[in-house]
Amino acid sequence: MGEVIVKLSEVDTIYEGEHLPAIKGINLEIRQGEMVSIVGPNGSGKTTLLETVNGLLKVSRGEVRVFNVDMSRDPMRARKNIGYVPQDFISDHSVPFLAQDVVLMGRYGKLGLLQNPRKVDFEIAKEAMRLVGVEEFAHRPIGKLSGGEQQKVMIARTIAQEPKLLLLDEPFSNLDIDSRKEISEKICRLHEENNWTTIVVTHDLFSIPKRCNRVLVMDRGKIVAEEDPESVMCSVKSLTGFYRGLRQ
Amino acid sequence: MIPLPLQIILTAITASILAGITCSLIGVFVVHMKLSSIGFCMSHAAFAGAALGLLLAVDPLLSALLFSTLVAFILGPISEKARLSPGVIIGIMFSLTIGLGFIFLNFAPGVAATQQALSILWGSIFSVTFDDLILLGLLTFFIVFLLTLFFKEFQALMFSRKLAEASGINTSVFYFLILFLAGVTVAFSLKLVGGLLVFALIVNPASSALQFIYDLKKVLVASPIIGAITCLLGFLLSLLLDFPVGSSIIIVSSFIFGLSVVLSPKRRRG
Repeated sequence: MGEVIVKLSEVDTIYEGEHLPAIKGINLEIRQGEMVSIVGPNGSGKTTLLETVNGLLKVSRGEVRVFNVDMSRDPMRARKNIGYVPQDFISDHSVPFLAQDVVLMGRYGKLGLLQNPRKVDFEIAKEAMRLVGVEEFAHRPIGKLSGGEQQKVMIARTIAQEPKLLLLDEPFSNLDIDSRKEISEKICRLHEENNWTTIVVTHDLFSIPKRCNRVLVMDRGKIVAEEDPESVMCSVKSLTGFYRGLRQ
Repeated sequence: MIPLPLQIILTAITASILAGITCSLIGVFVVHMKLSSIGFCMSHAAFAGAALGLLLAVDPLLSALLFSTLVAFILGPISEKARLSPGVIIGIMFSLTIGLGFIFLNFAPGVAATQQALSILWGSIFSVTFDDLILLGLLTFFIVFLLTLFFKEFQALMFSRKLAEASGINTSVFYFLILFLAGVTVAFSLKLVGGLLVFALIVNPASSALQFIYDLKKVLVASPIIGAITCLLGFLLSLLLDFPVGSSIIIVSSFIFGLSVVLSPKRRRG
């Protein structure tokens, strides 16, 4: 494995108006080329952890470094190389954006100020749409697509960004079983081909990509266990029981 | 109807078209980002500014413009610092500026002062001068220029501020810029249609365009065209029927919006 891409040291994140941290005392290192899945029951802090990594949420204690950049000081520099697919992002049916616009927007952070998308950016966006299988929706309004189609567009948008670190928050939640398998395999292939570092958050243990190196189990804002994917998949039944046990 | 010199009519028509273009262009962002109460807020900021001008014995229109520009400038940073939605801050500023306006008026000399400050809220298109026209033209150019220059940032911001931020765009700057431009547009259009009616000029044409079009670039072209046509038709209606210009423009824009809702393909099933 390569250099450390994501490093969290004793990180607490508290939401505004709350007293208790949503995640607390998180220590985590993820190296280049690793694919890490974060699992846990609802409200265990998985999304908070992901949004703390890309600096969308400010830490109340500790330090987050991504590409060796302190995310509380200069998040913009690192974010150009961080692809992020948010949880359950659904557009209103009347929004004035076509699917191809949304995918092209993945390129905007990299382009910088006063730079308009060039031919190469349109081509990259088109290729990302082709990879995810949404090229036929290119000219359709994003809000008119189904939840699953929108989720694919969001994944295409992130691929078009050509990130070095990929943060996926429940990326398959709206997809049917066949699409879930297909997209998961494509992401794994791109991950390997491009030497990406990937973090996949999911509550569904069957959505853990096969290629994944580590599985972190979260509960009540803490990382409570680290497993290897094979043992998780072999003991899904007991891990589901484990979720229930954590809550009781 | 009292016959008016052709030059005044032409100046007024040009001003109304320019205001229609500017307001409905910025209106696309205001409507999509649900900031429409900014119209009320800025018009009352202008009222407070005019009252302050009367109190300090300076040109009330100039002080109205300066005061509302100042409010437009601080809206975004305040909402960001206070971690409150812009809607809440706009509501607070709206009530604060009314309060300040009446306090200023209380100390301004003469009863006529009240009338003069209140006239800011109603506007008068026939009092538009050539200098006002130049100013309005410059504002229109400035807004078109900024929207062209930073189109991709505004587009990303409109789609999702969170995603734009996550992909490395400094959204605060562009968010403040939209609030500022909306505020300044209202302030500059006050003299034309008045503070209370400028609101409809911002909301109606943009809302009408959004009923038909799914492509932001096309919305940004269609909205000012609808705005300009609305103002022209409203103006002609007012000349024909001797209605107040502002009210005529609002009637036409509301009619166009109603028609758009009825004909909107976005509202059809399937």
